[in-house]
Amino acid sequence: MGSTGSAVVGVGHTRYGRLPEFDAYELGLWALKDALADAGLRFDDIDGLIVNRIPDYQRFCEIAGIDPAYVNITPGQGRFSGICIETAAALIRDGLATTVALVYGNNGRSAGDRYGGAADTYGSGGAGNWFPYGMTSPGAFHALMVRRHMELYGTTPDQLGTISKTFRDHAALNPSAVMRTPFTLADYHASRFICEPLHLLDYCLINDGGVALILTSAERARDLKAPPVYLRGYGMATTLVGSTFPPDDFWRESLRKASARSFEMAGVTRADISTLMIYDNFTPTVLFSLEGCGYCGEGESGPFVAEGHLALGNRYPTNTSGGHLSESYMQGWALNLEAVLQVRGHCGERQVKDCAFAHYMAAAPVVTSIIYGKEPS
Amino acid sequence: MRPLPVIDGPDKPFWRALRRREVEVQRCRDCGTHRFPATRTCAHCRSDESEWVAVAPTGMIETWCVFHRPYFEDLPVPYTVIQVRLDCGVRLFSNPAGIEASALRIGMPVEAVFEDVTADVTLLKFKPKDA
Repeated sequence: MGSTGSAVVGVGHTRYGRLPEFDAYELGLWALKDALADAGLRFDDIDGLIVNRIPDYQRFCEIAGIDPAYVNITPGQGRFSGICIETAAALIRDGLATTVALVYGNNGRSAGDRYGGAADTYGSGGAGNWFPYGMTSPGAFHALMVRRHMELYGTTPDQLGTISKTFRDHAALNPSAVMRTPFTLADYHASRFICEPLHLLDYCLINDGGVALILTSAERARDLKAPPVYLRGYGMATTLVGSTFPPDDFWRESLRKASARSFEMAGVTRADISTLMIYDNFTPTVLFSLEGCGYCGEGESGPFVAEGHLALGNRYPTNTSGGHLSESYMQGWALNLEAVLQVRGHCGERQVKDCAFAHYMAAAPVVTSIIYGKEPS
Repeated sequence: MRPLPVIDGPDKPFWRALRRREVEVQRCRDCGTHRFPATRTCAHCRSDESEWVAVAPTGMIETWCVFHRPYFEDLPVPYTVIQVRLDCGVRLFSNPAGIEASALRIGMPVEAVFEDVTADVTLLKFKPKDA
């Protein structure tokens, strides 16, 4: 079995929801303090830092009082959580840093962030060309994709509703989740359309919060306070050419390449995976991810989710925290945190039994696939 | 006010052609690949040599969605957005003309409808071919 040589040794997060008294820097710092306490490390131990969605790395370091040897900043797009984690592992392996803090702060709810309309920059920044026709928002982009999936493969609204309902059932077991009240498929159908075929309950939340992860070498991880969760494999692939428009293949080829690389690096197969963390900005990405990563065949994701495989207690419990749809829209970060907690066995009522491996995946123009494991190799 | 395009920018030839009831896009002089919106360099062969050419105003529906939440003033919901692939290969977002969303199908052949929305601006919409 393989390994990347690094491990997550600390995880931290803020409360999620409406936190108008905190800005993105303060949310990030709150999460980082929590993660350092979890790891039993001090601020001075951080020699690598990547911030995400936080507006400025210099200001963040000034506020946090740290001078890391390596620093970087990444844009507030959810695809970057996986990119940052994979980059941290590479920094550690190449010796640029020994202890890397990844810090995310998002005050989108209180700042009134909108994901559609005149300020929309989703896609490759070319969104404005299509405003005269009313085309805008990442939600509409995914509505276009899933309409095509429905027409090609017979995917149904009930199947999308099952995804959303399953994650809400999981969120009901998660004290940190923002939305914890279970709903029925009838409630799903009764929720208003935002961009048909997607209902309100197909959309992720918009809320405030912060998450921090601390990574170090697998060797050093053994001496720290928290049980290490090893980064066993990762992969990345892009579909950026022509990406103003949805990809013909639902990102299947990118997902296939990225997940194959991560499985190969980890030395495991899908049969070894205990739980899935799937980037769910909208329910359709769950379908695309399952197909692209090979958990079901091409076009078969609708029936696959309807069979209940994603629910706790079944074969591939998915987004056990409630995910972006029900826990909190932390743009992939909280899903990676949940993967770590599941592998540690710290998930309480929502714990997946004998969780040896967790697989995080994000379907987007930049695909990432990360496999976490309990054992170093 | 409804959202209007920038008609005097790099895509000026496209918007002027719509006034004449024609569809023009950029074409690479080296590899012949069509593209829109305008870019200096061809993403296929990286040539900087290009020209604006009239193309067939026909294509097919690739997918669609129906907006129920309003994002723009003066664009009343519900309205339908279609994704069209022109026969020359260029993709566009647009709106259907004279057809309900429930009657749309993937692969449906469509042809251009030129809709004057202001004294200067014509939008490119699509109706089922032969309809």
